[in-house]
Amino acid sequence: MQELNGLQRIVTAIKLRQPDVVPTFDWVDKKVRDAIMGDTNASCEDFIDYLDLDGIVLADRISTWGYEPLGVNKRGRQLKRCQWGAIIQFTDEGTGIPMEPAIKSEKDLDSYVPPDPDLPWRYERLKQLVKRFKGHRAIITGCTDVFDVAKENLLGDAQYYKAMVQNPGVVDRVNEIALNYQLQYVKNCIDIGADVIFVNGDWAMTEGPMVSREFIQRFVAPSLQKIVEYAHSRGVPCIKHSDGNIWSIYDIIIDAGADAIHPIDPMAGMDIGEAKAKFGDKVCLVGNVNCATTLVSGTVDEVRQEVKEVIRKAGKGGGLICTSSNSIHSGVKPENYVAMVKAIREYGAHLA
Amino acid sequence: MALSSTDILDKVRDAVIQGDTKETVSGTNRALVAGLSANVILDKGIIPGLQEVGDLYGRGEYFLPELLISGDAALNALKLLEPLLSTSGTTSQGKFLIGTVEGDVHNIGKDIVLTMLKGNGWKVTDLGVDVPPEEFCSAIERGDFDILGLSSLLTTTMAKSVATIEGLKKAGLRGRVKIMVGGAPVTQEWADKIGADGYAKDAAMACKVAAVLLDKSQKEGRNAGT
Repeated sequence: MQELNGLQRIVTAIKLRQPDVVPTFDWVDKKVRDAIMGDTNASCEDFIDYLDLDGIVLADRISTWGYEPLGVNKRGRQLKRCQWGAIIQFTDEGTGIPMEPAIKSEKDLDSYVPPDPDLPWRYERLKQLVKRFKGHRAIITGCTDVFDVAKENLLGDAQYYKAMVQNPGVVDRVNEIALNYQLQYVKNCIDIGADVIFVNGDWAMTEGPMVSREFIQRFVAPSLQKIVEYAHSRGVPCIKHSDGNIWSIYDIIIDAGADAIHPIDPMAGMDIGEAKAKFGDKVCLVGNVNCATTLVSGTVDEVRQEVKEVIRKAGKGGGLICTSSNSIHSGVKPENYVAMVKAIREYGAHLA
Repeated sequence: MALSSTDILDKVRDAVIQGDTKETVSGTNRALVAGLSANVILDKGIIPGLQEVGDLYGRGEYFLPELLISGDAALNALKLLEPLLSTSGTTSQGKFLIGTVEGDVHNIGKDIVLTMLKGNGWKVTDLGVDVPPEEFCSAIERGDFDILGLSSLLTTTMAKSVATIEGLKKAGLRGRVKIMVGGAPVTQEWADKIGADGYAKDAAMACKVAAVLLDKSQKEGRNAGT
């Protein structure tokens, strides 16, 4: 089989065909990258080249959203106002979680001014990646799910969920605000050179979906569908990310047009072999080496065995991108991530 | 024809199940006017309603929106009942201290557990999110809590639940409270491993486990006293 480059591998897998080797990519925490490189000055791009990963992820919240510093709280944590107007608290991990939404009442919506997706600085990072990797590694561009933006940043989780039952018109309005921004953002990213759109945002928890199928179809899936339809109109595929147990709603994600589903969450009882049997002929599977257990506390040998098992269950016939079950966060042992990538190259090569 | 006490309480229970705040509050008022005591309304109307909501959630028929609006309905009724509960000498189920561990700022899961516990008659103190072990220790030292609930939603912050339990041991406070853990990456096995007394996968289960732990704690207290 002809040797492919990273971009070709990922595109081949997304098209449900068999590449020369099962491709891999992940968002990797800086501490892990530095430990593997033995160099705290190495860039993320250097790391991607060093491990010869097939794609690089641009995290939209980190690289393209604007934040206004608000100082620190009583526990010394950084607080910032995000571009949507929500107050975000950051952890040591650099994870930002909205503490106070932008919109407190329906009245706030009338005067709400959304962020401008066309500001040139948002796309500087993407341009750097395009300059370095275009054509040989997949530039996987994050786009936070409209459900996430509208729920967490605009209205706040509890208010959003309650409004789904009590005031659906408000949910429609905040969804529309987030969707209009994201559609323009995706357009701009594709204009610049994004190869894949990665729609990140959970629809499910460990036990199952956050909201009923009816509500997902009414409030959540239509925005995904619009983003996918636009990306497809430009020839760009979409990966939909959702942690949690999605057995009861995966068909909705597929019907919305997603080309791939990430991460087939093993902590929520998602077995990738079962996923392959149920929907592996319809979408590419992206996952699912356990980053809550094996990559954190397992041995190198256990990591290799798990990679082997993932590829055995889901690699045959193509349509698999082997990644962690979420991301390579700071708790992952650096040697385990290196072992994972090597094992993917070894067990994922020249599958029948 | 006037409604019977059972009918009045059933209406309160059904209104909680429907997440109908207006009807829950008016039903509670109707029950008070009919001469039912606050503790009867709580025990036979509000709590059975929330228990049914928990069961519906457990069976996958209710989801977060339904859980939240039912919780709201119960809390609004409780606002009416609470002053009467204290004057009629009724005690709450117990005292529950809750927080999301240090480094973790997720609050939705904790808040749903908190709402359901309150609705079930618990006195709940919320330390918020990103709570360091020493803050949990200090609160337990100052307060008189039956149960400490630790929420961690990230794999990277689960270790802080362990640090909190260790902190309580060092401070000689571990024996004062039962400890429950929960959150997406948390499992029963992990709870057992770190020496927690209970684990709950969701808010409905948290209410059931809390009741079991309180009962156990009270029996231990009685046994210790004999």
